Amino acid sequence: MSKKNDTAKPSGLTRRELLGSSAALLIGASSPVQALTVRGTPEWKPLSNNAVPPVDTDAGWQFFTDDEAATVEAIVERLIPADDLSMSGKDAGCAVFIDRQLAGAYGGSERLYMHGPFQDGTPEQGDQSALTPQQRYRLGLGALNDHCRNEHGATFAELSAEQRDQLLTQLEGEEIQLDDIDTLVFFEIVLQNTMEGFFADPLYGGNRDMVSWKMLGFPGARYDYRDYVERHNEDLGFEPVSIGGRPDWQA
Amino acid sequence: MKTLMGLSLTGVALLPLSIWAASTEYQDIERGRYISVLGDCAACHTADDSQPFSGGVALETPFGTLVAPNITPDPETGLGRWRYEDFKAAMTEGIGKGGYHLYPAMPYPSYTLMPEKDIHDLWSYLQTVTPVENDVEANQLPFPFSIRQVMMGWNWLNFDEKTFEPDPEQSDEINRGAYLVESLGHCGTCHTPRNFMGGEGGDKFAGATIEGWYAPNITPNAHIGIGGWSEDELVEYLQTGGNRFDFASGPMADEVHHSSQHWTDDDLYAVARYLLSGAGLESDDWDREPPEPLSEDNAQVRAGSHIYFDRCSGCHTSDGGGEYGIFPQLASNPVVNGDNTSSLIRVVLAGSRPVATDAKPTAPAMPSFAWNLSDEEIASVLTFVRNSWGNAAAAVSPGDVADMREALTGE
Repeated sequence: MSKKNDTAKPSGLTRRELLGSSAALLIGASSPVQALTVRGTPEWKPLSNNAVPPVDTDAGWQFFTDDEAATVEAIVERLIPADDLSMSGKDAGCAVFIDRQLAGAYGGSERLYMHGPFQDGTPEQGDQSALTPQQRYRLGLGALNDHCRNEHGATFAELSAEQRDQLLTQLEGEEIQLDDIDTLVFFEIVLQNTMEGFFADPLYGGNRDMVSWKMLGFPGARYDYRDYVERHNEDLGFEPVSIGGRPDWQA
Repeated sequence: MKTLMGLSLTGVALLPLSIWAASTEYQDIERGRYISVLGDCAACHTADDSQPFSGGVALETPFGTLVAPNITPDPETGLGRWRYEDFKAAMTEGIGKGGYHLYPAMPYPSYTLMPEKDIHDLWSYLQTVTPVENDVEANQLPFPFSIRQVMMGWNWLNFDEKTFEPDPEQSDEINRGAYLVESLGHCGTCHTPRNFMGGEGGDKFAGATIEGWYAPNITPNAHIGIGGWSEDELVEYLQTGGNRFDFASGPMADEVHHSSQHWTDDDLYAVARYLLSGAGLESDDWDREPPEPLSEDNAQVRAGSHIYFDRCSGCHTSDGGGEYGIFPQLASNPVVNGDNTSSLIRVVLAGSRPVATDAKPTAPAMPSFAWNLSDEEIASVLTFVRNSWGNAAAAVSPGDVADMREALTGE
């Protein structure tokens, strides 16, 4: 096709084409319906599965530097502190979860359209930042530690629990303006990812020993509750089960 | 035009005779076609459905690989130069044209029972098949098995040439079933354990391993055989590929696909009656007391109960009842109770897609659990299933699961 034809013909459906195809559709609808008979069966292969390989929690940091990892652990330890209900976000592996997510497709926003123009947008339009999660952590953690050194003479991880709580509260309230990155763009992604790490399947590196599921009474990756649908208002005594299993599976 | 007219006139003149000849022949050929279905020739001799009987299906035997030859009438690569007598010798004596010995992967020890009429009609049909040029190297066995003369000794020890004799004390239906099971259907080729030479030994129909699958016990034993199945359930299995207990998978899927789904109802019921009656078997061979189930306190049974509840009960249901038509019932299931666990382990590891038939085209599949369950966990869950809801059988060893995993994945 020549360049000239390209410009002469309008793209997309013309009004005439649309009317024509609608007419064909009407004719089709009034003639006897032919059911489609599908022969054969969809492809199936032995051993096939689409499971996510479990995170190796002992493999060392995949995205964070040691300093960044120490800072993130110091944050998640205060966002989810150890208490009567559960271990802390740090002990549950939230920093490992975030590290592995950042090292994967999520970290580079591989699923998203990430070309300009970048505009603020309305709240309903959600996150419009040009920064990928990897960039937000790298810039945000650096800026947070710069702030801490200037104000307190120490890195975030070296501060007391009370000081860290106060700083996180100030970040959430935008009482601190970080250099290089919008304070809320950083704080909100950390809070969001910490919750994800705490509640997601342990397969992804957080929620160690299904701690959050035990806390909530969530039964985990189960499929069928027909035996239980009519049993109301009683403790069914389910032990939570991860995609990878649970301790009772061992003989 | 004149020539055409002349030809037509000649045709009309010859008509009465040719109608008689053609109709008889057509019936013989059609009968031969059905015999080829009963004998499941296609299972081995049809690798490509668009080129029937042109050979090429490889059979892995304990002695090496054999490839089924081209049996179309192609003169160079098929049976085009064979005469009926050559074919009959192959079917009844295991001797190919020119005097060479066939290997018993070709079930001539079963086909030898065929009456002359059936062999002849089958031959008539095979001569109508489209010739296909496809040169197959049938004998790919290693030395010394590659020497066909070894079959002379084998035949002497393992083979009796004889035609099927109906038992006058049994009904016509049982006798028809006996002929179908023992000869054309050659059920024992897979379901009877083989002796060290690969001949059918004792323990007729007691189940045997073939190509990494367990061809289960098909004696009337209710615990590990098919004695708990009704005639209707056995016919349903052979005709549609599945019943409430089981779906045909592995080599049996091929059998149902090519063969038994196309059998007449009368023939299928004759087979069911013969097999379930135990005629042809000594009852001492199959009539045994089932074992006691393992205790719920057994460590594998207890761990397996948790795995079953978490991973299996969603489909097979918590009481092992399954869902008719899609999820096999595991309770009181003879395949589950079998002495040999290779099919059970295989299905849990690799998953399984059973046969799709004209009657049941959906072929519901079992997913693979190799990625999710360890060798120990699979051994535990199978041990639990084999000792619950009326089942009772020996524990499954993690080592057997490891061996099958290695065989399937090459790891």
